[in-house]
Amino acid sequence: MKRSGTWGLLNWALIGATVGALVLASGGVFVARGADPIKIGFGMALTGGLSANGKPALLAVQIWKDDVNKRGGLLGRPVELVYYDDQTNPATVPGIYTKLLDVDKVDLIISGYGTNLIAPLMPIAMERKLTILGMFGLANNEKYRYPNFFQIQPAGPDPQTSTAIGFFELAATQTPRPQTVAIVGADAEYPQNALVGARELIKKFGFKTVYDKTYPPSTVDYTPIVRAIKATNADIVFVASYPPDSVGMLRAAHEVGLQPKIFGGGMVGLQFTSVMTSMGSMLNGVVNYDFWAPEPTMLAFPGIKEFLNEYQARAAKAGVDPLGYYLPPYSYALVQVLGQAVDATKSLDQQKLADYIRATEFNTIVGRVKFGKNGEWAKGRTLMVQYQKVHGTGIEQFRGPGKKVVLYPEELKSGAIIYPYSAAKN
Amino acid sequence: MMARPARALLVGLAVVGAGIVVAALRVNQYVYFAGYVVLQYVVIATAWNILGGYAGYVNFGTPAFFALGAYTAVFLIQSTRAPLPVLILAGGLVSALLGLGIGYLTLRLRGVFFSIATLALSIVLQTMIINWEYVGGSRGLSVIRPSGPPFGSYVTFLFTVMVLLSVVAVTVARFIERSWIGRGLAALRDNEEAAECMGVPTLRLKLFATTVSGFLLGVAGAPFPYYVTFVEPNSAFNLDYAVNALAMPMIGGTTSWVGPVIGAVLLGTAQQLATVTISSEMNLFIVGVVLVAFVVLAPEGILGLVRRLRGR
Repeated sequence: MKRSGTWGLLNWALIGATVGALVLASGGVFVARGADPIKIGFGMALTGGLSANGKPALLAVQIWKDDVNKRGGLLGRPVELVYYDDQTNPATVPGIYTKLLDVDKVDLIISGYGTNLIAPLMPIAMERKLTILGMFGLANNEKYRYPNFFQIQPAGPDPQTSTAIGFFELAATQTPRPQTVAIVGADAEYPQNALVGARELIKKFGFKTVYDKTYPPSTVDYTPIVRAIKATNADIVFVASYPPDSVGMLRAAHEVGLQPKIFGGGMVGLQFTSVMTSMGSMLNGVVNYDFWAPEPTMLAFPGIKEFLNEYQARAAKAGVDPLGYYLPPYSYALVQVLGQAVDATKSLDQQKLADYIRATEFNTIVGRVKFGKNGEWAKGRTLMVQYQKVHGTGIEQFRGPGKKVVLYPEELKSGAIIYPYSAAKN
Repeated sequence: MMARPARALLVGLAVVGAGIVVAALRVNQYVYFAGYVVLQYVVIATAWNILGGYAGYVNFGTPAFFALGAYTAVFLIQSTRAPLPVLILAGGLVSALLGLGIGYLTLRLRGVFFSIATLALSIVLQTMIINWEYVGGSRGLSVIRPSGPPFGSYVTFLFTVMVLLSVVAVTVARFIERSWIGRGLAALRDNEEAAECMGVPTLRLKLFATTVSGFLLGVAGAPFPYYVTFVEPNSAFNLDYAVNALAMPMIGGTTSWVGPVIGAVLLGTAQQLATVTISSEMNLFIVGVVLVAFVVLAPEGILGLVRRLRGR
């Protein structure tokens, strides 16, 4: 009896311990479930041609995640990012997003950086009726007209002319009014789109085209191209180029002594800190598109200063663009939109989120964002900036205002154009 | 004698059947996406091996043939919305024609000079596509998949199609290897002059090999537009295809039809896993390291290694 009593006691102790452990564990499970993270999945160009922008974009999204989690997450749940490197290769995108959706079971997706990486995501999202937020894609939704797609690049309802519109509008208002135009660009996705838009605008403003040619993206020597343009004596020179050729064209323009009245337009790359600090005073006078500049008009938006402080503090460690003035604020704004939509609808339901995003004006670090036709910004806001008074190649000068003066649009204007180009050059 | 081809046919049918079963099971969608890429490499590696392994003519122009298949499909989708089987057949035929033409022009070149010529072919073709606006030019083109595919989703369907194409490619390779053509190709690989003297019709055999290899590479490329749904020159002419097409047979073993299959399955799966686990920078790094290791340690690939371990 005694023995069995001991056993009984032991048994009870065991049962008690097991039950206790189970209760604790289930408590743990419930806690874990309560705090189950909301997963946001995406592919990002961390290697390959677009990685110089993809990595800063990733950092911006990570900063947002940390900010949100500090405030208690979304719907009371922490936010977790699940991302893979798409290698700047569209062929990897279908695999990556099905992995995210079917294996990692992410709750929300955003796109990777760039038109070509968004394009293969569209059918996947449409097939599953997902809400997608696109990061800097040009006219991705024109063919699909998918109502649940939203895109953060402020190109506006007419993406093709968005890069060039400010440039030609500015040109048309100068005195003496320039008459002739030379347009040139690379045989690649973005430049071709920009040139199509430029041609349309040239017609609209009644300029006369004297040069309209493209060059292969692998070009290394740009002096023959610039010489040919110089020979036409064009008043306006519009260049649509990717970073390597932007640098090449600008250097060649200086070597050859190209002196149009207004020069620039759609040169990708001049916005990047590494390019600005290598080109230095060669940038003076160039009028080029941009999305963000440290001018008072742009710094007025709530949260932008805090974001940039955080970004710049973390950029060195992450080994990315140290200033982060081009893509990062918009990448942050993109997830801000998503976060605000989740908070407001108190839901992860894709359709509810899309309906909310479509109907709402969002307050973000890049200003007020309202989406319109095809998920583009209802009103375009591509800036035209002019590089002015750049001395040498020091990075510090680019942190403050006055070097990249916003000329367009009117409501964000922070200074006056120096015209003609040659007057600003030195 | 009759039993062998019949058995091969049975095995082939069994594999296709298994593919259909896997597709009908509707397991995790990711399996089909990753599986498609691996199977695509089975076709590419097998096709490359017909010329590179059997005949010993190293082709660096794989992306050209693959992309030509893909762009033929894009052209037909744009112009006639042709169904997938037509796209595959047309992609194969156009690439086969390119193979024949290139073979005719360049097979007088031997060894490394032939390889250089094929590398140049890829660049020439890419430049042409970049300047051809109808198929998207340098901007690329979004392709909308037909609606209402079998097996619920289009990629599941594409996966099944790729299973079928792999079986066809492997069967063709196996047939070539075991017939007089394969023996002729092996002879010219070892010593072209000697083979010629022995009465092997070397030029005709080489032309045959470039054509069949081109055909299969084109076939592998034709469903690509529907897989990615967005075709642009940089990804269609990606150097990865050239590197993998060469590495996979090298790793598996170039002398037999099994080699490329083993290589493609191993390396293809490893790459798919690396992309979503470690980092994709590791992707080509893995290929590079494994390739160097095999060339140095096991020049006859896994097959050679197995044979060596078994035999001696």
